[in-house]
Amino acid sequence: MKYIGLLIVAVCGGILLSATSDFPDWGYSQSPASTYLSNHYIEKSIEETGVPNLVTSVLADYRSFDTMFETAVIFCAGLVCFLLLRNYNRQKKFFYRHISTGVVLCFKDNCKNLPASKKFEQMDADWIPHDLIIMTVCRILIPFIQIYALYVVAHGDFSPGGGFQGGVIFGSSFILLAISYNLQTAMKKIKEKILGLLSALGVLIYVGIGIICMFLGGNFLDYSQLAKILPVDPIHVRALGMLGVEIGVGIAVMAVMVVIYVNIASEGRHDEGL
Amino acid sequence: MIKTFYPALLVIAPLLAALLCSGFSWIQKKFCYPIVLVGLAISLFSAFKLLMIVLTSGTIQYRMAGWAPPFGIEYRIDLLNAVVLLIVSAIALINLVASHKSVLQDMKEKLGAFYSVYVLFVTGLLGVVATGDLFNLYVLLEITSLTSYALIAMGDPDRSPIASLNYLFIGVIGASFYLLGVGYLYIMTGSLNMINVADILQNLHGSSAVLIGFIFCMLGLWIKMALFPLHIWLPNAYSYTSISVGRLIAPLMTKIMVYVMIRLMLNVFGFNYIFETLELSKVVVWIASIAIIAGGVMALAQKNVKKIFAYIIVSEIGYMVGGAWLGNQTGMTGSILHIINDAVMTFALFLVVGNITFCLKNAHLNNFKGLFSKMPWTMAGLVLAGFSIIGVPPTCGFFSKWYLILGGIEAGAYHFVGALIISSLICAILFFKIFEISFFESSIQNKQQNEHKNHDKIAGITEAPVSMLISLGLTSATLIILGVYSDSIVKNIITPFLTQYKMVI
Repeated sequence: MKYIGLLIVAVCGGILLSATSDFPDWGYSQSPASTYLSNHYIEKSIEETGVPNLVTSVLADYRSFDTMFETAVIFCAGLVCFLLLRNYNRQKKFFYRHISTGVVLCFKDNCKNLPASKKFEQMDADWIPHDLIIMTVCRILIPFIQIYALYVVAHGDFSPGGGFQGGVIFGSSFILLAISYNLQTAMKKIKEKILGLLSALGVLIYVGIGIICMFLGGNFLDYSQLAKILPVDPIHVRALGMLGVEIGVGIAVMAVMVVIYVNIASEGRHDEGL
Repeated sequence: MIKTFYPALLVIAPLLAALLCSGFSWIQKKFCYPIVLVGLAISLFSAFKLLMIVLTSGTIQYRMAGWAPPFGIEYRIDLLNAVVLLIVSAIALINLVASHKSVLQDMKEKLGAFYSVYVLFVTGLLGVVATGDLFNLYVLLEITSLTSYALIAMGDPDRSPIASLNYLFIGVIGASFYLLGVGYLYIMTGSLNMINVADILQNLHGSSAVLIGFIFCMLGLWIKMALFPLHIWLPNAYSYTSISVGRLIAPLMTKIMVYVMIRLMLNVFGFNYIFETLELSKVVVWIASIAIIAGGVMALAQKNVKKIFAYIIVSEIGYMVGGAWLGNQTGMTGSILHIINDAVMTFALFLVVGNITFCLKNAHLNNFKGLFSKMPWTMAGLVLAGFSIIGVPPTCGFFSKWYLILGGIEAGAYHFVGALIISSLICAILFFKIFEISFFESSIQNKQQNEHKNHDKIAGITEAPVSMLISLGLTSATLIILGVYSDSIVKNIITPFLTQYKMVI
């Protein structure tokens, strides 16, 4: 069976490779892919969309409908992770540490969680003493990571970046928090409910901008219609529309990153993990 | 060009419903179901409106974001899309109503997320059907696949995750084959709009890269639609999942892939390229004939009714692929008509299974004893759906099979005709086996039950809830309506569509 699989892979790869001889040469400037549509995008994108970053103009304007569904794919991934992994059965054992003395209590057999208090903290079963260096460095680093993420989101239409990248960076700051401290600390900062709402909200911003354009009389996602309600000229308004869309993408991606991490790390129980 | 916003509304309404439903699942769970219901109702309404507009004034082009086609993305609704869209949104809505009770039982805390994924799946399907852009099709295919993996894994906790994992592996390969094919086409043409690609491909008929692109697109779609040697994922995935999901995915997913195949064949590559330049059609018709027989034979070996129906789907895929590749108008007509009919037939079958599993918790053939007296209405629906699958005249299954057989004779593909007839016989055997068990073995079992327990509770009628019965009644009625009006469907929708794309010899 193994060899049959190998054979199929080899045949498919061979067929794909054999057809490359028919391709235009590598870097050939007259190939269809680089002459047919690209010229239009390269020459016209600034005057048509008002965005200096060519990639963003194609991604968030010419083919914004695709990007909306890519965001929906990400939203869907988070939702599916929640649907399949989230486990409401609680763990058998809980450990609580008395902060001032360091005494650890073990609760067994489905007792209720202690209410949050300043004297006790819940801790993981495989707890290792917090490393001061890691915790301090991460605590200093995380705000900068988040500001950088916001910069990347906001500058999507001028320089490389955008909602997807910024969202991932922002999400990773929460993951870093969860790794350097523990999962509960991170979950206290941003609750599951907030994450769920944010991931839907992000895509909703994208779809909402599209629907506003429709209500203003244009086609779906036709940003130029926004000029009717925003006090800027019709070309520049496209850049604003793209910014709004990028912010939506950023929020959705950030929330989904954290949802996926939390659900996988704690096997869906959201109490401890990694 | 006609100014209308329905093409956007069609896809945006369910997407918006999914987002709101997912949001409300954290705030107030009881709003989830109404939101989803309204979203799907809006898309059913817009599908209906689109069909009306297309029938009166021709193809609709809708420019997403306002950019003209090759630069932006275009939704292109013609006669074929409009009908398929109507079927998809109607089935999704009816199934939502029919499965409300069982979803409430199964899902509990995850109700909102489940409904949200459900509508996203429908959004993906509607988008796949409506789009006129090769890459947009892939993006929506991704949404459809991702959600269908999740939905399938929500079934039987022991088996469905593994079935879903297998489906995921194979499905991802299928989708990436399609993407590879589109990539090859993009390198050769520089465009992604279907109509535009078709125009450019006119001058590239001899290119081997286009040929490979075509083959990989087709292979990817065949994997996704479970054409016979590539069908391994289907029976387990469809039979171990929960019935509310099975009813949605089984009738729609494979049929939509057949639709995409036909769309690519007629709109992108063109009739001349496929049937005159390539001459692959004989091989594919042979594969389809084998698929028809193999699906039927494997169905005979099964004991679980869900699995029997899953293998019948494998066999039906053979009908549609074979008909489309016969290379004449009659075969193509049969194939398109069968997409519509088979979606409704399969839906009716799975509604029956749903009613039975709701009452008996298990769809094993042994449990069918005495069902005609216990669940008369459900079994009446099964008889009708069974007749339609076999191809008994007043039901719609007969007419599409008729066109397929005529097309086979016209093309001289007698093995295909033979396979169709043998498969009808196999289906007859299968269904009469089920009828026999559930009709005649009742008395014996009841007698034993009475002797042992001295009360005849089992003989009373224990039907499924009314919402399920109404959905089944509606679907069974559609089977006959589609059959009676199949002539006008062919005359007003399929033939004009095929003439529009020069599929007349």
